[in-house]
Amino acid sequence: MAAELINPPPSVPPALALRMSQQAPRILQQSSGPSLPYPLSLLTASEAPETWIGYENLMLACLRTGDDRSARICLEKLTQRFGEDNERVMALRGMYHEAVAEDYKALESIFRGYEEVLKKDPTNMPIRKRRVALLKAMNRPIDATTALVGLLDASPTDAEAWAELADLYLTQNLYAQAIFSLEEVLLITPNAWNIHARMGEILYLSSLATNSNNDGNLMRGLCESMRRFCRSIELCDNYLRGYYGLKLVRPLAHFHSPQQPLSTNTSTNNPLKQTTKHLLSLLSKTSKPAPAAADPQFGDLAPPSLATIERLHELATAKLAEIVRRNAAGESGWDGYDQAEVIAAGELLGRDAQKIER
Amino acid sequence: MALLSKALNAIGLLLLAHAVYSAHEHSALHAAAPSASSQTPSAAALPLDITLETLASVLFVCAGLVLGSPALRPIQWSEWAGEVEQEEGRNRQGRGKVGMKEGEVVGNPFRVLEERPGFLDVRAKRKEFADWVREGGSG
Repeated sequence: MAAELINPPPSVPPALALRMSQQAPRILQQSSGPSLPYPLSLLTASEAPETWIGYENLMLACLRTGDDRSARICLEKLTQRFGEDNERVMALRGMYHEAVAEDYKALESIFRGYEEVLKKDPTNMPIRKRRVALLKAMNRPIDATTALVGLLDASPTDAEAWAELADLYLTQNLYAQAIFSLEEVLLITPNAWNIHARMGEILYLSSLATNSNNDGNLMRGLCESMRRFCRSIELCDNYLRGYYGLKLVRPLAHFHSPQQPLSTNTSTNNPLKQTTKHLLSLLSKTSKPAPAAADPQFGDLAPPSLATIERLHELATAKLAEIVRRNAAGESGWDGYDQAEVIAAGELLGRDAQKIER
Repeated sequence: MALLSKALNAIGLLLLAHAVYSAHEHSALHAAAPSASSQTPSAAALPLDITLETLASVLFVCAGLVLGSPALRPIQWSEWAGEVEQEEGRNRQGRGKVGMKEGEVVGNPFRVLEERPGFLDVRAKRKEFADWVREGGSG
């Protein structure tokens, strides 16, 4: 079985999913030869875990590309091997039915099926997760949140569920709750660099969305976001996402640093500058709190000094430029970046350069 | 490299077997003729060529094993993470490694936190794929 089936890359793009599902007939034919009676079949059957992971991923790829027949065969193979009552197989079967369901009514009957299963065995985690996913697919995010909170009450160390909860809150624009959920994820997996970066992104979004008229909060949120991006860079070398965030946060954190003099920036033609100008006017209206070593009320760290912010910004710019350059040159060890991300980084750098020219 | 390590291993094992056999024959010969060996104690000692053969064979096998071992992973977390990210990106673009050794763990262990296969929304994925096909299936 191909490597991509056993270990599919994150967020499989459609083209790769198509290629994976196109292998289905070959793989299924290969393995559907006449099987020997029980004791002999143990000798011939390949019992590597990779085989079954491969079937599972093949089934997901087939469901995605609409090859329901092959998905059905994969599901039957898994059922044959692990039995009807295996929790993971039950969840996969539920997923298959969800995928082929015609309308909302069919989905509702699947939902009732999940409820039945859970009434018999409330500890069936895969089915509980499917139930949340189904509620989300049925456009009932509030019910999904309630169900997920119930699941987390029962199993508070499930990082995957916490991450899903953060996403659910985010779709409902509940930033504070999303940040709390991500903090829980980080308590369980403190070295997850992608979650640190995600945290930075959400903090950035939330401070822009909710604190536009409270400078103290805005600054605190941006500084916190900056720290998260720094941590993600610390945990992962040449992490494009982290450097991008760091560079993105800077202009705002910069203008909200207490040491920043209010004399720069007079042009009005650039929309970005207009926002910063707007923020500047806000800043001059409100009285700034004196920078303390730690905020006594929240126990937060003091915002970093302007020099630190500037140096971080320089570092991010240099690193982004290096990534863009070496990726374009196709150097080995630098060619694994997502092209869209590299283009976005190049654009961010270009925007910055333009500003300096003016 | 794989061929070299295999050849070194084969030669080393062959030499080792030969050295062991020679040593055994040597001791058997002297045990059969105790009178000859008792006169000169140095004759009972192992000849130099057998000793050298043993040492050389062990060295060969060591070198073969070291050369044949898979590439080392960085022991610094950040370096390792950077490598993992690159590898995944290459896989996503469809130019990853073709062969996968058994038991080899590749990939970012934290990507499940963003993928969340347990909560996969199949219908949305199906729709996304259908849209992609409708748009001409590129990108």
